[in-house]
Amino acid sequence: MKQYIIRRLLQLIPTMIGISIIVFAISALVPGDFITAKNSPTMTLEKAEQLREIYGLDKPVVQRYFTWIGNMITGNMGDSLQHKQPVTKVVNNYVWNSFVIAFFSLLLSWLIAVFAGVFSAKFQYSLFDKLVTLFIFLCMSLPSFFIGLLFILIFSINMGIFPVGGMTTAGLGAVGWEHIKDVAYHMFLPTVVLTMLSTGSLTRYFRTGMLEVIRQDYIRTARAKGLKERTVIFKHALRNALLPAITLLGFELPALFSGAIILEKVFIWPGVGQVYLESISVRDYPFMLGFTIFLAVLTLLGNLLSDVLYGVADPRIRLK
Amino acid sequence: MSKKLSGMMVILLFMMTILAACSGGDKAAEPVKENPPATTTDTNKDKPADPAPAPTPAPADDTKNDGLFPASDKSLNPALAKNRKDTLIIGMTAPKGTFSPLFWSTAYDKYVVETVFDSFLAVQGDGTYAESLAEKIDVSEDGLKYTYHLKPGVKYSDGTPVTVKDYLFALKVLHDPQYDGESDILADKIKGGQEYHDGKAKDISGVKIIDDNTVEVTVTEVNAQTKVDLGTIELLPESYYGKNFKFGNLDSVKALSDKPIGSGKYIVKKFTPGQEVVMEANPNYFNGAPKIKNLIYKTTADETRLAMLQTGEVDVDMVSVNEDSVEELKGMGFLDVNIFPTNGYGYIAFNHKDKKFQDVKVRQALTIGLNRKDIVAGVYGKFADVINIPESKQAWAYTNEGIEPYEFDIEKAKQLLDEAGWKVGADGIREKDGTKFKINFSATADNPVVESLLPIMTKNYKELGIDISAETLDFNAISEKRKTGKFESFFAAWGLTPDPDSTVYITKGAQNNLAYSNKKVDELMLKGKKTLDIEGRKEAYKQVYQELNKDLPVIFLYQRRDMWAINSRITGFDITPYKNFTYSLTQVQITE
Repeated sequence: MKQYIIRRLLQLIPTMIGISIIVFAISALVPGDFITAKNSPTMTLEKAEQLREIYGLDKPVVQRYFTWIGNMITGNMGDSLQHKQPVTKVVNNYVWNSFVIAFFSLLLSWLIAVFAGVFSAKFQYSLFDKLVTLFIFLCMSLPSFFIGLLFILIFSINMGIFPVGGMTTAGLGAVGWEHIKDVAYHMFLPTVVLTMLSTGSLTRYFRTGMLEVIRQDYIRTARAKGLKERTVIFKHALRNALLPAITLLGFELPALFSGAIILEKVFIWPGVGQVYLESISVRDYPFMLGFTIFLAVLTLLGNLLSDVLYGVADPRIRLK
Repeated sequence: MSKKLSGMMVILLFMMTILAACSGGDKAAEPVKENPPATTTDTNKDKPADPAPAPTPAPADDTKNDGLFPASDKSLNPALAKNRKDTLIIGMTAPKGTFSPLFWSTAYDKYVVETVFDSFLAVQGDGTYAESLAEKIDVSEDGLKYTYHLKPGVKYSDGTPVTVKDYLFALKVLHDPQYDGESDILADKIKGGQEYHDGKAKDISGVKIIDDNTVEVTVTEVNAQTKVDLGTIELLPESYYGKNFKFGNLDSVKALSDKPIGSGKYIVKKFTPGQEVVMEANPNYFNGAPKIKNLIYKTTADETRLAMLQTGEVDVDMVSVNEDSVEELKGMGFLDVNIFPTNGYGYIAFNHKDKKFQDVKVRQALTIGLNRKDIVAGVYGKFADVINIPESKQAWAYTNEGIEPYEFDIEKAKQLLDEAGWKVGADGIREKDGTKFKINFSATADNPVVESLLPIMTKNYKELGIDISAETLDFNAISEKRKTGKFESFFAAWGLTPDPDSTVYITKGAQNNLAYSNKKVDELMLKGKKTLDIEGRKEAYKQVYQELNKDLPVIFLYQRRDMWAINSRITGFDITPYKNFTYSLTQVQITE
């Protein structure tokens, strides 16, 4: 096992090099740079040249790549051009806000999906199954900005029970428990919307997994030896049905940190998603590249994690 | 059977959701990305705006498209807002946290800078400047020596006195070779500035500190903007920012960007990225302490600006203007709505290296043959004007004397094209010397005007016998095309500065990517730049605009509107296209 992990970690290196080349190449191919994106009507040519020199944008692409990758290896992601602060600081400022809603919606959606999936499978083609299917397809197919705005209209403007947006009440300056309560109050709507969007596909996975397992011989055996139905389903069947979900869990790792771009905008949630999107439109290369690499690393680690966990959970799979 | 039925139901529901999504989409798309007015840099890459009066002036009451629309029923004010007795909340797009007068880069960070710092001069409602921190400013007769006299006894919020040494410190940072902020001090040609920048001199020889309150700056070139450029540099305490400052390394100065200390109206208490900037009134402000104790800049977004105003979560915000948003704000009843012309304009550019656009008759035909009024009305309703010169109608340099309005007239346009030698060919497309009249047109994808522009333009030009092929591109892609000169024609918008000097239409100007060249314009622009007295400048720019109006380097399209919605319990704001709300914060108060 240890060997396997070490080998996989070593394999990450060439993969990362490949990713960094592709990401950098794409960013270099995109037209415009940070200076053209400013579109300043008064900027002189000298000033533009001077800025390009300070940012190193006047160098050939290959040289820029090696400078950048050299810095990245030493852990220096550089300064965000737009924020004029180190990239790591900017990421740190925003990423935890994204993490909070992503984490809670992950918990909620898995919880809901497990139960909905299990019962849909158990009572396949029943009214309950059809209603659940209908509802989750509805939630999945609604665009997040639409459902977000709709919720704001209903719950914030008409009923006045939740704030329109933001993460805290302006000027409250609460600390400790009060602060947590205030944030919870603000994150309710975005978390609900995010959960609605992500529960759908998960429920389908669990339903399918469960349907497969439920028809296996050992389930019939379990029933035949007189176990309670609840034990059969939740102990014997569910455990096996959850195995494929481990893979899914690995993919959730980058999603926890990547931020929900559109939803953050609608609910004015100070998450990293909008900052990332903006960095692309203003061509803030250090931030754009730094954060992309950060997500790439998380994705690879997530993959590794799910493979390892799979091996731990399923004795049929042996990692070598 | 029942399977089929539920299948159908699912499909039906899907379709309903899709329809619902469409209408939701339209709604969310309405507000344009908003950039506030008057800051040079990021105004309107994607917003349109621009000057010049509509061909039909003198609006009657229901055609009123700017000015103040007062609240109709103050009693509708939501309790949430009414209960805030000593706090003013202003909504805006999130500032980045670079609250340094030297390094800010978005208009929103600039708002904070203007609230926390002061400079010798402050902008007035009409775009001119008056003394703020300065007691008086002397300009030598040859226009090369500027003496700024600082008001005595002013202190920063940490208690240290403001001196002109802090001014010198700011100049040194601005001249540093590693300086990457918005200012372009080298363009002001301070004597010895370039040498200092290049590391050849230890000091800027043109800056002389006479005493703690007097500084004399010598420049090497006469420029009408120098007095303002040098006078609007905010003073920041060297004792705080300059502790570890070394030539060629600004990291220590930058690191303090999110913890500003200045002499201004408010003091930043807490900044939470992406959420809010909490400020408290400076009781010792040299111009009198602000009347409202707490000030918060709260992050809002286009999608929900109206909702935040409606629930009272914010008191003031800038909302993008179209007929719907204005109606909605007025309908809320408790908001004062202030609408004024945006400092910028939208235009259609030609590549002047392209032979077909070199003929002024062709350019005129393309202007007259385009129904600009319908294009603009299609997006902004009455809240925009068709323009004919590249200047805001509120600018001091604006003129409509001798300006041709180029009213839509397709017959006249055809005639002009005929005169220019472009004859209608067998397939209905005009041609000259065997070349077909074809325009490859690009437009920025995220500008709402494009949706209205493309269909009308295609229809009009088809009628003229021009083959037009249009594409929409990302803003940066168009910038790139513009920079490399690989375009025929594109739509874009420019921001305007309070001063009319610009490099957009002068030969080889830094911002002139159209290869446009007109000797008369060059001469007059230079004259306007070098003349110090304002009447003389007005005359020079009047002639510039008359010439540009005649020569049409681009098709001038429209100047749109900006709008501030202000909760009616707040009084005293004085906002114009030039004067940000920040400049009236000391006089603003909460009334019941």
